[in-house]
Amino acid sequence: MDIELDRKQDVLPRDVALPGVKGMPTVPEHLPGSQEQLTAHRSGPSYRARYILSGHSLSISSVKFSPDGSLLASSAADKLIKLWDAYSGELVHTFEGHTEGISDIAWASDGEYLASASDDKTIMIWSIESRATVKTLIGHTNFVFCVNYNPNSNLLVSGGFDETVRVWDIARGKPLKVLPAHSDPVTAVSFNGDGTLVVSCAMDGLIRIWDADSGQCLKTLVDDDNPICSHVQFSPNSKFVLASTQDSTIRLWNYQTSRCVKTYTGHTNRTYCIPACFVTTIGKYIVSGSEDAKIYIWDLQTRQILQVLEGHRDAVLAVDTHPTRNIIASASMEKDLTIRLWCDD
Amino acid sequence: MNESLINPFNLSHPTTVQTSLFAGAQIARFDPTGRFIAAGRAIGSADIWDLETRAPIRWLDGHVRGVTSIDWSRNSRYVLTSSKDWNVLVWDLASACDPPQRHCTIRFDAPVISASFHPRNSQIVLALLSTGEAYLCDLRKTERSRIELVELMEESDDEQGQSTRTRSFMTVARFEPSGKYIFIGTTAGSLLVFNSRTKAMIARHKISGAGIMKGLDFAKSGRRLVTNSSDRTLRQFILPSYAGCEENGLLDQELEPTHRFNDPINKTAWHAMSYSPDGEWLAGGAADPAAHKVYIWDISNDGQFASALDGGREPLLHLHWHPKKSCIASTTNQGSILIWHCPNPERWGAFAGGFEEVDENVEYDEREDEFDIEDEEILFERKMKAEEEEVDIDTLAASSDPNASALVNGNVMDVIGGSTNGTPASTVAVVGIMGDKDPDILWADEEPDGDDPGEWRMRIVMDNEAADYY
Repeated sequence: MDIELDRKQDVLPRDVALPGVKGMPTVPEHLPGSQEQLTAHRSGPSYRARYILSGHSLSISSVKFSPDGSLLASSAADKLIKLWDAYSGELVHTFEGHTEGISDIAWASDGEYLASASDDKTIMIWSIESRATVKTLIGHTNFVFCVNYNPNSNLLVSGGFDETVRVWDIARGKPLKVLPAHSDPVTAVSFNGDGTLVVSCAMDGLIRIWDADSGQCLKTLVDDDNPICSHVQFSPNSKFVLASTQDSTIRLWNYQTSRCVKTYTGHTNRTYCIPACFVTTIGKYIVSGSEDAKIYIWDLQTRQILQVLEGHRDAVLAVDTHPTRNIIASASMEKDLTIRLWCDD
Repeated sequence: MNESLINPFNLSHPTTVQTSLFAGAQIARFDPTGRFIAAGRAIGSADIWDLETRAPIRWLDGHVRGVTSIDWSRNSRYVLTSSKDWNVLVWDLASACDPPQRHCTIRFDAPVISASFHPRNSQIVLALLSTGEAYLCDLRKTERSRIELVELMEESDDEQGQSTRTRSFMTVARFEPSGKYIFIGTTAGSLLVFNSRTKAMIARHKISGAGIMKGLDFAKSGRRLVTNSSDRTLRQFILPSYAGCEENGLLDQELEPTHRFNDPINKTAWHAMSYSPDGEWLAGGAADPAAHKVYIWDISNDGQFASALDGGREPLLHLHWHPKKSCIASTTNQGSILIWHCPNPERWGAFAGGFEEVDENVEYDEREDEFDIEDEEILFERKMKAEEEEVDIDTLAASSDPNASALVNGNVMDVIGGSTNGTPASTVAVVGIMGDKDPDILWADEEPDGDDPGEWRMRIVMDNEAADYY
């Protein structure tokens, strides 16, 4: 499994357009390459590929670390969910059950259950302990595209091509609410840190914030150009939402003031729904996959690209960051079909 | 977290029934987080309901006769039920087995009217028996004891005094929110105050005209108290300070209520009352035999009557205010739990980004430079400049609500109580901080019960077929 990789030059491509203002350096001075200097000053991320995991036979749609970080779950268009050991890269288990491809997976906060959203219009709940399906949630009238747990893990929120956002009571396996949320397929939906808000985004380009209890719409965030919105999630403190749009831009919104406070550009995202995530373990970074088969890491504050991870041979659609260690997991499409774990030790 | 997005000025009392849970319950109590409700039934069982899914999640089966009271430990891990079957049961919701097994049983020799946990340690339990006796049971290994709280009688000078004065029955017993004192109401219409650590009676308050004491409720600060008595009047009192009472002997003082609440027309009695979490509202559940009525008084507005909520024809038995929200749970004699809330009006403007809903037409003043064509370069630069500002994505700020943050420490300033009493709120706060070194609090914190935040979580029971019958 642990194939020795020829060390990629992590040097930043010079032609990448970086956000910058006059008088501010547009290229970070601490370019990776001089490794000694990096480790000495801890001035930026220096992730390197540790493991390449292969097993899926069709495009990988999502990778997610378990809440304690010991497992990595991956889902793919081949209808399978695979569990990997996050530290050794070994395949732990393969869940079979869906009749169509899987678009998204989510861990319950105790790490005991995994939920998967599939094109067979169902959501399945899998028990990690018994390695079996414990519930099948039926209700969506079209492909289910995204799914997430609330912090108490008694509720599940899902969105799909039927343009609705649904809230489920997991213990009973019953729908609690159906929100006619958007006018196009819902691409991402998730709860905030205390479970009182839900954020959803859709191909109609709108980001909506909902009151989880009443199901009322509290806010709509929209950018001027209205690009297709492909992923959204709350920041760790739930004060901001991080949204990826298919104009190759990631934006950090202050949803209280409806203002975009940061934009991250440089990657390519025009066709697929690529999630962006936060790194808070070593520094504060934003990580996203890209259609140019690379993974980009930005500095949260300066919005500069700090590192570009190369190695995948197709668009990187799935990225996740480890909850406690400096590990990034990424996965790619048909031409590659691998999951890579990148570590910064 | 969503309060700021909803209308922050909308905090008010509940107005309408949001849902009705068919729990078969006579008593319903929110847990301290407000996520669960414990419902006690006349047949002796108790259910835990998850308010997020509005479904029962645990069944506590142990009593053979009706449940008379329910209490939650401070972080919701333990649930206490008292029953007419002479027992008090404590349940541990963190236990792995389902259905949950009783964590401990406290047996008495008479039906238990009410029981409650010490606010700082669930191993100290106060129980009141139908014989009019109150016991403080300490289940901790080093302190294990069961001590009856006995009313101290004055030694009267005249010889007949001893014989004419009979000991009154205790009819209600409650810990004050800090847990330092126990308040007991008697058939003689007086309030007795005991120190929880020394079990000594430190004060007696005669309440004239009250008759038999039927109920007690504290505002979260513990400085204000409302009593229910057989004269069909709720009285609110500001409590004096009991510091130094142990040394100076018994404080015998008549308390004058700051407010009296009653129904002047129907003269209904009250089954239960509960303060709102901020102490600005008081809800009273009317003992009306043909209607479900909840009266709300506005304490911050000099105790004015605010509204009477009508919950239909099933008479009310019990009510409890949510620990954080504008929400009340009231039970009916048919066993339903009514959840009252204050609905937020749907804001359709929220669906359209960048729009704002206005109540009246607003004359729009065009800015001087509104339609000026600006260089995109400059616009972009300005935007980039604005984005220079640092953002904080992972520190959880303390709640903006000072009451909520103070609650974390268990020391709440009572702004209203403080001001009516002429005490500056700051001094109250200082007392709260000093409280950490208080011997009574140190005593209560000995041998922690394992009910600390983050130490346990409610596991989701997946094969919850029984829930489908509700």
